[in-house]
Amino acid sequence: MNELLLQTRRHFFNQCSMGIGGMALASIIASEERSHASDVALNPLAPKPPHFAPRAKNVIYLFMAGGPSQLELFDYKPKLQELNGQPIPESYIAGKRFAFMNTSNGMNLLGTRKAFQQYGESGAWLSDGLPCLGTVADDLCFVKTCKTDLFNHAPAKLFMNTGSGQWGRPSLGSWVTYGLGSECSDLPGFVVLQSGPRGPRGGAPLWGSGMLPSKFQGVPLRNQEEPIVNLSTPNAVNQAEQRKVIDLVVELNRQRLVETGDDEIATRINAYEMAYRMQSSAPELMNTSDEDAATLALYGIADPKEASFARNCLLARRLVQRGVRFIQLYHTNWDSHGGVGETLEDDFPKVVKQVDQPCAALIKDLKRLGLLEDTLVIWGGEFGRTPMGENREKSGRNHHIDAFTMWFAGGGMKAGTTYGETDELGFGAAANPVHVRDLHATILHQLGLSHERLSVRAQGLDFRLTGVLPARVVTEIIA
Amino acid sequence: MTRYWFIDFTLCVSIILSVSSFGSDSVTYGQTISFNRQIRPILAENCFSCHGFDPKHREADLRLDQYEGAIRDIDGQRAISPGDLANSEIWHRIQSDDPDVVMPPPKSQRMKLTAEQRELIQRWIEEGAPYEAHWCFTAPVRPQIEATGREAIDHFVNAGLRRADLLMSPQAPLEKLIRRASLDLTGLPPTTTEIDHFLADSARDPEAAYTALIERLLQSPHYGERWGRWWLDQARYADSNGYSIDAPRAIWKYRDWVVNAFNADMPFDQFTVEQLAGDLLPGATESQKIATGFHRNTTINQEGGIDLEQFRVESVFDRVATTGTVWLGLTIGCAQCHDHKFDPIEQREFYQLFAFLNNQDEPTLKVDDPSYDQAQLAAEVRACEEPLAEFLLSHRQLQSDWESTLAEPALSKVHFAIKPLLTKPIAERTIFENSTVYASGPGASDQVFRALNEKFKAALELRDGGITTMVLVERAEPRRTTLFTKGDFTRPADEVSPGTPAVLHKYSQAAGSNNRLDLARWIVSPDNPLTARVIANRVWQQLFGRGIVETENDFGSQGALPTHPELLDWLATEFVEGGWSLKALQRTIMCSETYRQSSVDRPELRHKDPNNYLLGRQQRLRLDAELVRDNALAASGLLSKKLGGAPVFPPIPTSVMGLGQVKRAWNASTGEDRYRRGLYTFIYRATPAPSLNVFDAPDGQNCTTRRVRSNTPLQALTLLNDTSFFECATALTAIIDEAGVEAAFRRCTSRQPTADELKQLAGVDSLSVARALLNLDETVTRD
Repeated sequence: MNELLLQTRRHFFNQCSMGIGGMALASIIASEERSHASDVALNPLAPKPPHFAPRAKNVIYLFMAGGPSQLELFDYKPKLQELNGQPIPESYIAGKRFAFMNTSNGMNLLGTRKAFQQYGESGAWLSDGLPCLGTVADDLCFVKTCKTDLFNHAPAKLFMNTGSGQWGRPSLGSWVTYGLGSECSDLPGFVVLQSGPRGPRGGAPLWGSGMLPSKFQGVPLRNQEEPIVNLSTPNAVNQAEQRKVIDLVVELNRQRLVETGDDEIATRINAYEMAYRMQSSAPELMNTSDEDAATLALYGIADPKEASFARNCLLARRLVQRGVRFIQLYHTNWDSHGGVGETLEDDFPKVVKQVDQPCAALIKDLKRLGLLEDTLVIWGGEFGRTPMGENREKSGRNHHIDAFTMWFAGGGMKAGTTYGETDELGFGAAANPVHVRDLHATILHQLGLSHERLSVRAQGLDFRLTGVLPARVVTEIIA
Repeated sequence: MTRYWFIDFTLCVSIILSVSSFGSDSVTYGQTISFNRQIRPILAENCFSCHGFDPKHREADLRLDQYEGAIRDIDGQRAISPGDLANSEIWHRIQSDDPDVVMPPPKSQRMKLTAEQRELIQRWIEEGAPYEAHWCFTAPVRPQIEATGREAIDHFVNAGLRRADLLMSPQAPLEKLIRRASLDLTGLPPTTTEIDHFLADSARDPEAAYTALIERLLQSPHYGERWGRWWLDQARYADSNGYSIDAPRAIWKYRDWVVNAFNADMPFDQFTVEQLAGDLLPGATESQKIATGFHRNTTINQEGGIDLEQFRVESVFDRVATTGTVWLGLTIGCAQCHDHKFDPIEQREFYQLFAFLNNQDEPTLKVDDPSYDQAQLAAEVRACEEPLAEFLLSHRQLQSDWESTLAEPALSKVHFAIKPLLTKPIAERTIFENSTVYASGPGASDQVFRALNEKFKAALELRDGGITTMVLVERAEPRRTTLFTKGDFTRPADEVSPGTPAVLHKYSQAAGSNNRLDLARWIVSPDNPLTARVIANRVWQQLFGRGIVETENDFGSQGALPTHPELLDWLATEFVEGGWSLKALQRTIMCSETYRQSSVDRPELRHKDPNNYLLGRQQRLRLDAELVRDNALAASGLLSKKLGGAPVFPPIPTSVMGLGQVKRAWNASTGEDRYRRGLYTFIYRATPAPSLNVFDAPDGQNCTTRRVRSNTPLQALTLLNDTSFFECATALTAIIDEAGVEAAFRRCTSRQPTADELKQLAGVDSLSVARALLNLDETVTRD
């Protein structure tokens, strides 16, 4: 990829020197000396050096939208089962606020009906819904005491992604591409993939770039129609004609560059070349026919054309192979309140099944290809669920922000560990709480970025992902 | 004080790359150190967060933001002993290499001060360490110069250039000049006829021709569309509620109010008062009530299970911060959780402003609109009803099958409003009743049905409910306002009453009131040191790509200093003396030689002033998102020039609307509405139209006072492949076939192509030429 970049660059400068007037040429050469500036002219997301030696190069963030129940998946609480049906002791909930608390009768404890068992040498507890994930338990690093501030979906999702419950702040993926650029010159540096019955609550601001330039915002790759909005050449135009138009645009723009000396034109020329490359590289990425049957079977992909979380996991691996910096998958429908379509009994297991095998396959596949080391895989939702049950259609649980589970793999995280411990009801942290800000600081740290130094000046302030409240790198989960 | 601004300019230029404050670090011998220009930026950047205005985060009980604090004796030591370097503790601290001693300390992540910064501090202390009030809190003083009007502008700009031994650029070519002025005032390119007339007029009398051009453009109804959008960015306007549900809202009457106000050149003080407190004006008219939509442009969370008060409070926070940003150019929002760390604004004062904005109900107002007559609305309902009826008829079997499954307990989950309808046989129900039932069954997941049904319901609502818009109405009994500890609404603290920050001009309430109207009048008071400067600066920013104060939303101590402070004060006073007329301000600026310069870069400028702070040329600026498409539509002859009215739905790529939680229907408009200006495109906050979004259009999440101008491959893909742009290309192809390449070239760039350019386009098929022309950098640029 780098060789290709260099070639493109040489090609560009050779081409330019033929037609370009004195000043503009001088300016381009001068800017080549500040090598990064010219890389940016060629590739708006050219790689940038991190603050310090990184442990991971890329991120795959498996975002479980809606808030998966840690109590049905990871956080095994025999005491909760024992107290099933009893009111939660007042000491737990004094002064707390919850979503829906006035409308649903949700103050009685609900013991899980899932069976739990231990997996691997690490002895990680997983419920019977996660047999596949169990096979890679020793590659995972669980944090059981994740803590967030907001208990409604959209604000909590914004908070998990941007460090703020308000709209308009840069998302994690934007910060990372802002800090590091991307190794891939023919695909966006931050890609979003979606599966599940609907889009995530909060929409585009979840992968927005806030006060950072829009080149850092996440680009949704779509499983239906064209993968990127406006990627396909119009029907009435063939490939040769498209190329001809781009050549004309590039040539006429180049003359204008000479006349005006405006570097923005050089950037635009390169944007057109990259756009042209994306027109072939993005469909090539999405076309998984070059994957063998064993790989498809590993992920549990029956029909490679059908959009699914499994296919998105495979695409995530393909994106990492191409050097894309930050890949975020959203899988929806984890909001298990117990109402129609969201019961713990019938609906929750379906969602679990949709992700279990693909998650495990992704870890195995990355490992097999030697990519896991450099790729930080993150799994988690915007919050967890309460130990108290909700009775609607059947049973469910409410949104819970005091303690929920996330897991990490690869990217220099400590494999086969569990960090943080919840109390015997799974309500709050008994030891080692980890706030969203700490998670953000840790994720950036693994990528070689200091959360205190990665900032942007706007509205008179230096904005940071972790804001102004304390945040710490959780060194205990780093290998 | 500012007279020596550019004496050592070349040195400054190399430094502004690394510091945000203009030229703050330069050491110039033989003149007095300026606290505001040279010292305050160093202290603000490095010291104030721990030794500033905010007592809660103040370390060692030392404050350096004011003279008294800095010279105070603390345990026998003084941070600063005026004129006495040896006894000034900060001097030892900034020199030290001992990590336990050095300031700023290593844990602050700040670097040791540079040798140059230290030298400045040294000389400043030796000179007696004089402090000055931060410039923006002192009212502008009109500079005494002989030149008036546009010549005054050139006077200040030339003075700055002269100090750096530079000259202005020559005037831009006439074709570029008319293009620039047209785009800046109306957002539309000049027609070829307009260009020809301007060229002919200029040949007779260039000055008269240019003045007449500006006058014509200022009178154009499209002027209000262009500058209205500038204001709507600041008003965070959008057509949906935001957050996860992101339901559509009707507030476009406010948008039209803004456009009309600009076209009428409503004085900016009146413009301000009507938006902040139109409902409180005696005998408030409908128009003045509509204006209060400004602060209804906050988002509304309709998610289940929320605490309504929490999100009401969030919206008031937003209103306080937005008011501060838009009118005062201050980051007042910073004081929501604690005293401002850099500017003298206490947390209490934030909540005093909050108290003004905490006392309104938020209803919708039914608006009389003679352009909608009842017969027409009824016809529209019938037109929407027909296809829906057909659909329901063809799905009747499915519906009755579904209804027959509705026994208990499944029935208990059906919405209570549906139940009585179910007792009626399907054939006897009205279309409305039937579609309502169907919507809660098989229709819920049927996109075709939902699109038809939403359209039908919208038409019904319009017929029966009329046109509405969101407004503010003051409550009879004010709410109690308290401080919130750390900005957390669950932690109310001391009660506060309405008031304004003490650092600003005096607040006086009208007899018997203490409400939003008093706040609005305080903002437009002639004593206000900020508002006229802030607005004049933002107008300047629109016309040059950057404000005289680069940080257009922060005039406080963390913001940049004005590059031309006297010019800014001259503009601000001129603005107010001219009766707050924006058109007069724009006329003066645009008639200046400064504005009319060529935007082409020159080697000496590139060498001495690469970022063009001195304005030795105009600036090439990529068009704003809406204008990129407006211009393609205009160039290809497709543009509808219809003004105002409900938002429209130009074609957007399918499935974009599926990105949010609730999939909203987007029925692409047909006929004229397909080709309206981007200003009228429906803005869903959660799923903004991609062609606007990739060109950095704001989506109404926050107040936007300056747009980013990015330059990305996704923009290239949009211009090359998007349906809207391809429709333009097709239309331009027809123009090429009829009138030739040269005509099409002029329509896109406003100039004649060179022989070289024509040669390159010769022999290429018309469609490819049309597409290439619409994709040119020059076509999407105002230069």
